[in-house]
Amino acid sequence: MRIVAKDLSRSFGSTRALSGVSVTLAPGKVRALVGENGAGKSTLLKILAGAERPDSGRMMLDGRSYAPRSVVEATGLGVGLVFQEITINPSLTVAENIFAGRLSRFRRHGLLRAAALDRAAQALLDSFSAEVSVARPLSALDLGQWKCIEVARALSASPRALLFDESTAFLNHREVDIVLEAMRALKRQGLIVAFVSHHLAEVGAVADELTILKDGRKIGDYEANALSRDQIQGLMVGRDLSKGLFPPRAAQAHSDNLMRFEEVADHRLKPSSFALGGGEIVGIAGLKGAGGQRILEMAAGVAPLQSGEMKLVGASFRPRIPADAWDRGVAYLPGNRTGEGLIVGASVLDNLVMARPPRRGPLFDRGRARKLAGALIRRLFIKTSVPQARAGALSGGNLQKVVLGKCFAVDPRVLLLNNPTRGVDVGARAEIYRSLREAAGRGVGILLASEDLNELIGLSDRILVMRTGRIVTIVNGPALASEDVIIRHMT
Amino acid sequence: MTSAKPHVDIEQPASRRFGRDHVRRFFPVFLLIALAAAFSLTSTRFLQFNNLMIVAQQAVVLLVAALGMTFVVIAGSIDLSVGAIVAIAALVAAKTSASIGLFAILPACAGGAACGLVNGSIVAKGKVPSFIVTLGAMVVYRGIVLYFTRGAPVSIENEAFLDVYSGRTAGIPNSVLIAVVLIGVSAFMLNLTVFGREVRAIGGGERIAHLSGIRVDRVKVAIFVLSGLLCGMAGLLQGARAMAATAQLGEGLELDAIAAVVVGGTPLTGGVGSIQGTILGALIITILSNGMNIIGLDPYFQNIVKGLVLVLSVFVTIDREKIGIIK
Repeated sequence: MRIVAKDLSRSFGSTRALSGVSVTLAPGKVRALVGENGAGKSTLLKILAGAERPDSGRMMLDGRSYAPRSVVEATGLGVGLVFQEITINPSLTVAENIFAGRLSRFRRHGLLRAAALDRAAQALLDSFSAEVSVARPLSALDLGQWKCIEVARALSASPRALLFDESTAFLNHREVDIVLEAMRALKRQGLIVAFVSHHLAEVGAVADELTILKDGRKIGDYEANALSRDQIQGLMVGRDLSKGLFPPRAAQAHSDNLMRFEEVADHRLKPSSFALGGGEIVGIAGLKGAGGQRILEMAAGVAPLQSGEMKLVGASFRPRIPADAWDRGVAYLPGNRTGEGLIVGASVLDNLVMARPPRRGPLFDRGRARKLAGALIRRLFIKTSVPQARAGALSGGNLQKVVLGKCFAVDPRVLLLNNPTRGVDVGARAEIYRSLREAAGRGVGILLASEDLNELIGLSDRILVMRTGRIVTIVNGPALASEDVIIRHMT
Repeated sequence: MTSAKPHVDIEQPASRRFGRDHVRRFFPVFLLIALAAAFSLTSTRFLQFNNLMIVAQQAVVLLVAALGMTFVVIAGSIDLSVGAIVAIAALVAAKTSASIGLFAILPACAGGAACGLVNGSIVAKGKVPSFIVTLGAMVVYRGIVLYFTRGAPVSIENEAFLDVYSGRTAGIPNSVLIAVVLIGVSAFMLNLTVFGREVRAIGGGERIAHLSGIRVDRVKVAIFVLSGLLCGMAGLLQGARAMAATAQLGEGLELDAIAAVVVGGTPLTGGVGSIQGTILGALIITILSNGMNIIGLDPYFQNIVKGLVLVLSVFVTIDREKIGIIK
């Protein structure tokens, strides 16, 4: 099987999402589609999978014309799609999720043959060595395993090509590995595998071939091992980012301890102590559940401190709710942008000034709010038509800048960041990094928990490496450290 | 391409934007005008000053209760106990007006606020959904009224009280003037204060608001106290108009108040809404009843029309793009 797409173009309103892109997908190879947000990679993948239709151009499947009008039709022709979002229904069983919509196959006399359903589902999961048992409840499985269930669902239609649309965006390291392993297994079975991803580490780990897109045009097709990560990023952004992604560290020493954590602990976190200086960026590395996010949550007033003490500029700091932390100048950027960070239905301005709105007595000070929002939009290069535009209309990177802007709006002493650039494209990422370094330059202490080791190494002044609820080592001068050293401590 | 989306909206030709958006936004106004026009064509009595004042007076109790409901609904909650709180407040006003006359407004409002405080505290601190809390509260508060009155009406005879709360000034019912003041205060609170923004933020995303440093529990209690307080006023005005507090007073008012809010374009999903909308909604519901009576429509048929108008309004005004899930 072979999918050949020629000169595909697609516009949304006045925006050209894809212009004249051609691509060939062959079996036994994993192809990565990479590019910044808005480069057109998702649009291309969706056209291939029947979720979008091209304005012009044509596609061939084994030499025959291929023009699916829907995902269902594409699936029928052997081209399956795994979505970016999690599409598992938690009220169903593993097997029911896999055969959702096809359950009638297992009907006899109006009843469901549960045993046959489970057997068929397990066979699909085993076919690509997913370590998921259909007997487990969904709540006992992690997101990587949920993704595998979605892969199995796609496989239930016996596809010959499987396309992944940023399927790892919401997963952590270990979960991502599960999905990448599934891709490799599918490739070995001779399927066409293509995926869209923001993470060049994933691309390097699993892709055989790359298609790089920029502004809706194809930059080129490459052998995956022919390009370095910096070269790929440079091609994606159209400029050399090898030096520019991370701003230089400040040379001056950090001020004395801004925030101290003394033996802080709860049932998941072993007593941990460290200090954060003013102007310092301290990174926290570790797998999900290792304790980094727990430390952030304690400092943010989201999770209660069971023992130990936190001190902020010498005084005891024990926030009961997030409002207490914000009152003391401790701002928190949560890990889930749209569920925790900002209200998509509200305007950019409303979100920016949400934490501590400018006020005159009980009154909202509209004039000052407008000025503040305008300043933040310029400072973070937030791309929005007007400050009053609905936040939901912004792209992922710009949304994250709004959440960060909400933190900057209170002129914080301490910034707590949970994966600040997850799902954010390279261009916006560079702007976020620059603004963080700038804030540190003004004396803000930043605690950064991230699953992106590159980011931790590029940005942090020190890195705490955590494993199973304890700080196992502290890497000073991370510029000299390599990912391998940190990973070895993490696992 | 996503980053360019907001521009697309701006560049749309004005004529096309009028189509959907404006119909949606101004439907309550159209509906109100259409109803008024229809009733004044069918009956000459409808547009007479006296009938209009009756309409205004009838609308007052519903409107005042619906003002509080607007805050509750924008915050993403619901208050089913407003009818029962109105009954409690009317009873308190009736009992105290004999001795303190027009100052019965203080215990009446305090009673309403106390009921709201109980609701809000259980919702915010106990983390029980407001639907359940206020459903229970509705039964309890109504039970309290029945327990103390034994089902018998308590009449209000104090002249000063009746003069102030059901009299007229320059031909306009005092209750209408009071309602206008309350409308002003509510609109001011919702649109110009930080509290109003916090109410919207909580309705837009409670967890987000909490994580952003809004004291969600405190604001929620305040919202229910405000709703209770306004119900206290509504009960006082209703009692004064009926010259008595009865155990049945305000029965079904909670549903009319929710209907008024929703017909005015405030979705039950929270986060958005306006006082102007609620005023229109309350007027639409009142005019519908008043007009149907005036033209002599079969009273048994009237409920059918009311229910259909409610669903029709939401069908037209709901913004399906902004509300992802339609429950």
